[in-house]
Amino acid sequence: MSTFFDIVSAVLILTGAVVAFIAAIGVVRLRDARSAMHAASKPASLGVLLCGAGAVLQLDNVSSVSKLIVVVIIQLVTAPVGAHMLSHGVSSDVDSSDDTYN
Amino acid sequence: MNVALTIALIIVLLSGAVVSSRAIRRGTIGDRAVAMDALTAFITCGLLIASAITGDSAFLDIALVLGLLAFLTSVAVARFIERRGL
Repeated sequence: MSTFFDIVSAVLILTGAVVAFIAAIGVVRLRDARSAMHAASKPASLGVLLCGAGAVLQLDNVSSVSKLIVVVIIQLVTAPVGAHMLSHGVSSDVDSSDDTYN
Repeated sequence: MNVALTIALIIVLLSGAVVSSRAIRRGTIGDRAVAMDALTAFITCGLLIASAITGDSAFLDIALVLGLLAFLTSVAVARFIERRGL
């Protein structure tokens, strides 16, 4: 049973790492700041969620597991809000006559 | 088992290096802010993987504080860009 948890945890953590790497390639390759944000703000939620789900299978005491759950919940709440604020700030000066981004 | 987690940690560190190359090299302040936001997410991923490898819960404290500080930083930079019109 422990071996099963080890394999599931390794698969989850490797998937999270690959998601993070694809996002890094997207941030470097895409030209605009908003296009880069399209690539960057998804692994901020998904990669941390996958890595946390893999790491929670490796930890064994209650305090570590509860701390990790708090970390993942805070990341899931604050990452979209921060990306929204950044996109609002970045695109407010692009075309001030167009109210699509305001 | 440990080999797979170490490979995942190396991949995350490599992607952090790639993202910080964009933050150093090019662009407006918005580009750099986006790259630094992604970099903090990758550092949080790496800290979670490190706590899975070592079983040490001190990495989770660092990840908690880093998540809160990253949110505060990106909101502050966004307000700065918006107010100054950069």
